[in-house]
Amino acid sequence: MLIDALEKMAMVADLLTDEQRKRAVLMQVFYKVQKENNYLPEDKLREISEELKIPLSEVYSTASFYKQFHFMPRGKNIVCVCVGTACHVRGAPKVLEKLEEEFGVKAGETAKDLSVTLETVGCIGCCGLAPVITLNEEISGEVNAKKLKEVVDIVLGKTNVQLTS
Amino acid sequence: MANMVNLTIDGKKVQSPERMNLIDAAELNGIHIPNLCYLKGSKGIGACRLCLVEIEGLKAPMVACTMKVKEGMIVNTKTEKVQEIRKFTIDLILSMHPFDCMTCTKAGICRLQEYAYDLGIKESSFTRKTFGYPTDETNPFIKRDPEYCILCGKCVRICKEQGTNVLGFMGRGVDSKVITANDKPLKESGCTFCGSCIDACPVNALLEADRWRKGREWEYEKINSVCLLCGNSCDITVRTKDGSAMLITAGEVEGSPERYICAYGRFGFDCIEADTRVTFPLIRVNGELRETTWQNVIDVLAKELEKSTKNSGFITTGSLLNEDALTLKRLVFDVVKTKNIDTTVSLYGDLDTLISGDADIESADLFVLVDLDPDQQERVLPALDAIIRRRVNAGLKLITINSAEPAIAPVAAANLVGDETKTLRSFAKAIIDKGIAGDKRLTSEVSGASTTEIIDTAATLFVEAENPIILTSPAMYLAAANISLLKGAAVSVPIESNAKGALMMGLTTNGKSYNDMISGGLTLLYAIGAVPLDKRPDVGFLIVQNSHLTELAKQADVVLPSAAFLEADGTIVDYLGRLRHVCKAVEPAGEAKTDREIFVDIAKAMGVDMKEAKESEAKRLIKIKTAVSFNPFARSEGLDLEAGELIESINAQVINGSRLLWLKEAEVASD
Repeated sequence: MLIDALEKMAMVADLLTDEQRKRAVLMQVFYKVQKENNYLPEDKLREISEELKIPLSEVYSTASFYKQFHFMPRGKNIVCVCVGTACHVRGAPKVLEKLEEEFGVKAGETAKDLSVTLETVGCIGCCGLAPVITLNEEISGEVNAKKLKEVVDIVLGKTNVQLTS
Repeated sequence: MANMVNLTIDGKKVQSPERMNLIDAAELNGIHIPNLCYLKGSKGIGACRLCLVEIEGLKAPMVACTMKVKEGMIVNTKTEKVQEIRKFTIDLILSMHPFDCMTCTKAGICRLQEYAYDLGIKESSFTRKTFGYPTDETNPFIKRDPEYCILCGKCVRICKEQGTNVLGFMGRGVDSKVITANDKPLKESGCTFCGSCIDACPVNALLEADRWRKGREWEYEKINSVCLLCGNSCDITVRTKDGSAMLITAGEVEGSPERYICAYGRFGFDCIEADTRVTFPLIRVNGELRETTWQNVIDVLAKELEKSTKNSGFITTGSLLNEDALTLKRLVFDVVKTKNIDTTVSLYGDLDTLISGDADIESADLFVLVDLDPDQQERVLPALDAIIRRRVNAGLKLITINSAEPAIAPVAAANLVGDETKTLRSFAKAIIDKGIAGDKRLTSEVSGASTTEIIDTAATLFVEAENPIILTSPAMYLAAANISLLKGAAVSVPIESNAKGALMMGLTTNGKSYNDMISGGLTLLYAIGAVPLDKRPDVGFLIVQNSHLTELAKQADVVLPSAAFLEADGTIVDYLGRLRHVCKAVEPAGEAKTDREIFVDIAKAMGVDMKEAKESEAKRLIKIKTAVSFNPFARSEGLDLEAGELIESINAQVINGSRLLWLKEAEVASD
């Protein structure tokens, strides 16, 4: 069984050229660098380009294709407003406007003190809870003025309470 | 010749080579299939959806750039259905494109404008959208305006396939944008400003930085010529308006691997209108150079030449046209009667090391690069660098033999680093060991050589190749040509554009050599062209015949204004031994004359009725080495001038008199 799998792997390895192989590891490298630095710094991308002998323009091109890679430092907290259809109907634009005002940044931007990054997302798959926002890994549904204040307070460090979902 | 297939396009029975795509097959038969993203010579990507055609027997329209011809295929390129699709596509593109064709520089050559006109689209029926991207105008060569960009990707692909790799796509979908790494301006991106992307851009997103209100396509006269600024002698197309050169583009046909020119070739032409141009004859009076008449200056010269005869010397460069070289030879040998004539070619090559055999470079499947380091970044034989990279993309294999790893090493199949003569010896041995019979002397000479694994790998590639071609520096030619005794051909690549021609025309050392003459002692020295000399040699009388007032010209006794590059007709012999035509694009500035006109005038003043040499005479003198014989594995001595250094010094007047100066200033600033 194990030998079988190994043999198959060797067959795959034969099919891949060196060029394909180094491009295949590119995504993994991006993940690692982003995890360590919380974004993809230019000097690191330059290192990747030199190490893998892939042109820098192509490294940028590949990374920028995916929304999850970032070229600017990100905030300590990531607040994400769902602007999918259901959330839109249930008031997402107002939620976003309020957060932009509170954090002093536009959607897609990071506060100068790196306290927060505000983003929008197409749909996170819980339309029944619209309007939805996420704070880091946690979800807050049926957002109202009170819940929004909670999120703002947590982000701006005005409270230590946990997010009520 | 490829096998031909029969097919019908728009009711016309036509033929095309098999495996050709439909766009090329139609073009070959005079039918244009609209396309925006198809980059001739590269694989089609089917992105723009404009080349959709209907093929009988197939339900859906097919993309012509990726569809190969088939025997009996019936193709319709202008059906109502595909025209509707094209209209929709153009309509969509126009919704994000400025509507300013009336002032747009690319009007007349813009593909989008052409198709909108053909399809009768006046307005976009969609909501118009602009992104507000800034333009990149931080360099004097290439202006990038993403507002006009239609994301066809031709610039990205051409930059990549020639190995410059500066441009790329950022993001995806409607928000994608063509950028450099991290969206930096071109000057911080490693761009070499060759401008290949400009030639590829079908719209106004990439254009020459100085083009605003300098004329549009229909106002220009187009002249095909050859660039003379280095040994690559690339084909160029010069566009002129009102007697001035306005723009130079790559002249090779689209899709050819040789379609490339560097920043020097594309942007150096400003120098013909530089302040440093000499437009009148100058003569030294009371220690100062003063303007004078041709009549006067020629009379003075004739007397000086009659006085010094045998003790005169003539030096020139390896970019002198064949006809000028022949006329000069007559003046020197028959009229002035001296043997002292030589060119800068003698600094890096001679008849033995530069005249090589016939080589069919187009059908080559392996290049062996010996002691050459072509480099787009350093602008040393940049076109050769681009050509090799493109050929490698298309399947050619590359072996390099060099003392240090050359810039092109990453695309090579094998890099043999180390002493070139030793490597060549071992390489020959490894090839012979694989059963290729060689010349007896060669076989016995290399029998003691030892090989390594990498040399063995390279030898296998060489043996497997059908038509291997060795490209070598002149200094290594004799040693490298030994390999061609086994298989293939060897070509010696010179530094200057007409080095081979100058030698074939007979401008070789007979009396004193170039180096002897510039070290002083002559009663008269006559320097023609941009010889790389800043200081006046210790000679009695110095004549400089050049287009620009160089440092040397400022110290001359007489300066004769000659026609600059683009101002004279003639021929050269390029690095492959091909006769190439240099065509006059503009009239000589002021009172400048062509070199050969001046030589004839001087001869006349000396009482000899001499004629200008003709192309037919030059043609007769073109010779190709018919048989290569064995030579010891050694580097030819005294030929080790550094290529980059010579290219920069012979082109100093071009660089200093044009926007190319910015490159040098930018280099200084970044150091």
